[in-house]
Amino acid sequence: MALLKREIAMLRDVLQSCSSAAVRTAIALRNLCKPPDSFMIAFYRIGFFALLMALWQVAATRMGSNVLPSPLATWQAAQTLVGEGQLIVAIGDSLTVYLSGFAIAIIVGVPLGVVMGGFRVLGKTLEVYVFALAATPRVAFIPLIIVLLGLGVEAKTFIVFLGALMPILINAYAGVLAADEELLEMARSVGTPRGRIFTNIVLPGAVPFIIVGLRIGATIGLINTVVAELYTAVRGLGGLLAIYGNTFRMAEYFVVVLTLAAVGVIVTESLRYIEARVSRWRDV
Amino acid sequence: MMSAGDPAERSGDAEVRVVLDRVCKSFAPAGGGDRVSALQDASLTVGSGKFLALLGPSGCGKTTLLRLVDGLIQPDSGTVHVFGAPPRPGPDIGFVFQSFRLIPWAKVSRNVDFSLRDLGLTAAEREERTRRVIKMVGLTRFANAYPAALSGGMKQRVALARALAPEPKVLLMDEPFASIDAQTRELMQIELMRIWTRRRPAVLFVTHSVDEAIMLADEIALMGPSPGKVIETVPVDLERPRWTYDTHAEPRYVELRKHLSSRMRQFVLSDPASEFFGRDLGSPDAMGT
Ligand SMILES: Nc1ncnc2c1ncn2[C@@H]1O[C@H](COP(=O)(O)OP(=O)(O)O)[C@@H](O)[C@H]1O
Ligand SMILES: [Mg+2]
Repeated sequence: MALLKREIAMLRDVLQSCSSAAVRTAIALRNLCKPPDSFMIAFYRIGFFALLMALWQVAATRMGSNVLPSPLATWQAAQTLVGEGQLIVAIGDSLTVYLSGFAIAIIVGVPLGVVMGGFRVLGKTLEVYVFALAATPRVAFIPLIIVLLGLGVEAKTFIVFLGALMPILINAYAGVLAADEELLEMARSVGTPRGRIFTNIVLPGAVPFIIVGLRIGATIGLINTVVAELYTAVRGLGGLLAIYGNTFRMAEYFVVVLTLAAVGVIVTESLRYIEARVSRWRDV
Repeated sequence: MMSAGDPAERSGDAEVRVVLDRVCKSFAPAGGGDRVSALQDASLTVGSGKFLALLGPSGCGKTTLLRLVDGLIQPDSGTVHVFGAPPRPGPDIGFVFQSFRLIPWAKVSRNVDFSLRDLGLTAAEREERTRRVIKMVGLTRFANAYPAALSGGMKQRVALARALAPEPKVLLMDEPFASIDAQTRELMQIELMRIWTRRRPAVLFVTHSVDEAIMLADEIALMGPSPGKVIETVPVDLERPRWTYDTHAEPRYVELRKHLSSRMRQFVLSDPASEFFGRDLGSPDAMGT
């Protein structure tokens, strides 16, 4: 009982410091001439976070720490994992696999999608295979990949690559096909040569699609990172997940889950930031 | 004066910019089915420096005719000649589209510059020309704005500036002021007249507004629907500039307006494709009684 009280007090402190931080951030945001909305959104987000923490605490108390660790226990586990270094090493391993797989998927997927969109015959020829591959669960390829590439970084990176590739490629392809017919005719009317129509009208028009593809690819890539680490040599965050999950060390397990969520949020928010930067023309 | 005879032959005449001779054009509908005839035996001549209004109800092939004159599409039969030869899209023919068609991610100045890229001008010349044309349409203050920040009237000025920048000898305008509010429209019409008087391109101006056609044009080509063709050509012998006196009170204006309006109404009422087909709204009496 005393323990519970202490936890609630801790939780209250955490929440209070969170909300005062939220108010400070919100004011800072408003000073940056953002619309007043972002002030409220930031506030609501923190509020929702507080609600989640409270629910978590209640659920943890009810279910017992063997099933669901409390926020405080998770926080302590996080400190230990960071202090002993295995979390940092795991993040490093996972990020290496994740980011290189994702990067290769971008380098291959965007140009391939764009070329498929630019040359309609090529696009029509290949699209069936692309859609078929996209519909096949990528886990199905893992045994084959292991046979070909082993259990190391190469195999993991390839699994991430394969997962991220399809949404990136398909969206780039769709973006090129969705080019604005009216703008294309305008460009033709002023005598713009085909190549320049492609670079000045078609490609910029496809950018929003491409960024959507990158965002979906980033998410699937992260999922595949964990899958790869579970199926091949057990390492990285996926590896920790397997170890702590199998040994029922739920607090540590939760730390890994939250770390993965944080990585996902950071990557997709960065892409959203890039999107906002490249589409500033939408703002009046 | 032009000599009589085959219009295609006449097009060799340096004074004639645009000639359409018995042009037919049909389209295959996107959903399949029979081809839709958009133009049948349409003939038309626009002299150098002349302002011709193409007046007709919607769906009678006005846009199709402009696209043919720009060389964006080819006729099924008949001839389209601009400067004595089949047209090719490019800087010699300016096109102002009904829906503006500005590049949304490019600033105003880059939108205007877009039509100057293939004229062999130096970067400095292009910049100078862009600045001048933007000034001409009164948008200097907005040269660095994105289209999303502009009103409808301002967007149409940008589109006009883009079409005028290469100094075309033929200017095609597709209902350019249809989606602009009445006040702005009148100012834009005056502005267009000012620019046209100075530059004197041959203008093919599409509209479905009888008043707009009379206020602007030297000559009005009346188009009828199903399938589209030029029914008659009427000269507008009203003194210019027409905004300096009460044009609407002139007997000639009233006469022209009455004639064109009743023809337009007839077209709509007798067009099987129209929602008003067969309704008894043809005579002015039908409204009173
Ligand atoms: N690209 C196209 N494909 C199919 N039908 C078309 C196309 N362009 C025009 N049409 C048809 O041709 C007719 C004339 O169209 P249009 O030239 O746009 O008329 P207007 O500009 O006078 O309103 C209409 O019936 C229209 O549906
Ligand atoms: Mg039209």
